[in-house]
Amino acid sequence: MKVFCLPWNTWLEFLRDILKEYQLIAPLVRDGYADFGEITAANCDRIKYAGNTTTTPLKAFFFPIKENVIRNREKSKRVLLGVPNCDLAALELLDSIYLGGDFEDHFYKESRENTVIFGKDCDDIKDSCHCVSYGLNPYSEKNGDISMSYMEGCVYLSPMSAKGETFLAKFDLSPSEILEALPEQVVLNRDSIATQLNAQTKDVPDEKASRICIEKENHELWRKHASTCVSCGACSFICPTCHCFLLLDRKGFEKVKNWDACQLPGFSRVAAGEDPLAKLSERLKFRYLCKFSYKPDMFHALACTGCGRCIDACIGKINKNEVITQAFQQG
Amino acid sequence: MRELNIYRPIKAELIKVIDESPLIKTFVLVPEQEISFKTGQFIEVTVENVGEAPFTPSSSPLETKQLEVTVMKAGYVTEEMHKMVPGQYMGIRGPYGRGYPLEEFYGKEVLILGGGCGFAPIRSLLYNLKAISDRLRKVTLCYGSKTPEDCIYKPYISELRATPKFEVLRSVDKADASWQEKVGVVTLLLDDVKVDVGNSVAVVCGPPIMMKYGTFKLLDMGYPEDKIYLSMEKNMSCGFGKCGHCAMGHYFVCKDGPVFSYNEVKNSPNIWM
Repeated sequence: MKVFCLPWNTWLEFLRDILKEYQLIAPLVRDGYADFGEITAANCDRIKYAGNTTTTPLKAFFFPIKENVIRNREKSKRVLLGVPNCDLAALELLDSIYLGGDFEDHFYKESRENTVIFGKDCDDIKDSCHCVSYGLNPYSEKNGDISMSYMEGCVYLSPMSAKGETFLAKFDLSPSEILEALPEQVVLNRDSIATQLNAQTKDVPDEKASRICIEKENHELWRKHASTCVSCGACSFICPTCHCFLLLDRKGFEKVKNWDACQLPGFSRVAAGEDPLAKLSERLKFRYLCKFSYKPDMFHALACTGCGRCIDACIGKINKNEVITQAFQQG
Repeated sequence: MRELNIYRPIKAELIKVIDESPLIKTFVLVPEQEISFKTGQFIEVTVENVGEAPFTPSSSPLETKQLEVTVMKAGYVTEEMHKMVPGQYMGIRGPYGRGYPLEEFYGKEVLILGGGCGFAPIRSLLYNLKAISDRLRKVTLCYGSKTPEDCIYKPYISELRATPKFEVLRSVDKADASWQEKVGVVTLLLDDVKVDVGNSVAVVCGPPIMMKYGTFKLLDMGYPEDKIYLSMEKNMSCGFGKCGHCAMGHYFVCKDGPVFSYNEVKNSPNIWM
């Protein structure tokens, strides 16, 4: 492991160098919420490096809300800073879906290839954070290109992929030190956040236990929780692993790939009107089965990475962890 | 070279529209690039600026210069298709998915149960089976529709009846004075079929309710679960396992199907919708 230690001013210079060649995107705080925004020389001192999740999931950069998939678009080289591990872990599933099989989605592929991702260490947790429940840590280890930690006026960068290594080699980093491992204090900080998360989520079943209890017939449970669902689809749209879309048709045989969600009525309705997910409770159950049973089997990847966004976003106050915990307690 | 953009349809000229029944038309399309498919695979047909829907071609897979889709007016895309006239263009993507495993049919009797517009994929299969009929023992088609007026492919039925090794039984739910064949649900035809179940495979394609009771009856007749092939209907959007619309338990019907053996899907949720 190689860790580049960059004093703060050196780091800011590095950012300015990146800006000469790349579009730079990082979390900024707006109205109290951190969300990805475009960074310029004017606002690069306002980047929110740590914290926890952003409102927008990482997937939106590779799988935009609306994307014309017939017209060619400009290829822009991009750097994404400050990505939490729950979002990085979601790339395993998205990559398997969009790049796997006999048909490769070259729009997704190009975006992935043109983007360098810096993961971050979460230094703060929200009530809904639960990555540790599914064996993930609140800091980056893989699936991104460079891991970034911050401590006492220094930024520690460590490549996680060949692309990350090549990227760092392109720049004159002028590190004050190159270490063999992260400083002990960084590791202690990481562990401290993990410990807080473990304490917060001690009653949340892991992905295997979740699967077992969700797969059981339990109509009452789904009916009860679906009673406050308004089919808005927010849980799917802000989910870092939800990948569903609908192709919309435009003039000139153009097509627009548009986010879609299994929680919306009509998602699985066929022409003659039959709809296996016509009932709200069926749709809710389907979502959980998709996350913990179907997708893990089909793609051998986690389909819930514990980011907690669906819990934060639900206007019906459906708490995914409470649903699963109740299913688990009912045996 | 295959088109890099998996979302881009190939334009296809509509050269002929055949009225099959009051609600069903066959569209003969000539794509700007040849499309070859295996029987049972499906294509996505685009109506420009309206929408796209999945269809299994009803023409022979041996014909690559033009293809046919037989379409029942059932939703907004099919409604627009029914308004189209020769000279207009549709878009085609595909073929997608897994078709009928014809090599499994060699040396066997093939019993086909179809209903309504489910005859479309079956006609494509029948064209293919005729081409390999020296390797088959017998092909029996049991086809049901609501009324005699709803029976599609009438000239083709006569042609099939004159083909050695092929037998056709038909039923309608509600007959008129002209109807000389069976009256009742299509599964009743299975009572009249002489078939060596032990050396046979069955194919079922039609509306969900017919698929369900047809499959159960075939199981009662002694067909093993892995010798009954079902063509599943879901609302595939992308066609290649990315958009999620055709999820059926642990399968995406578009890429894992649309043809499944009953054995493969019997534990999947909502197979009969």
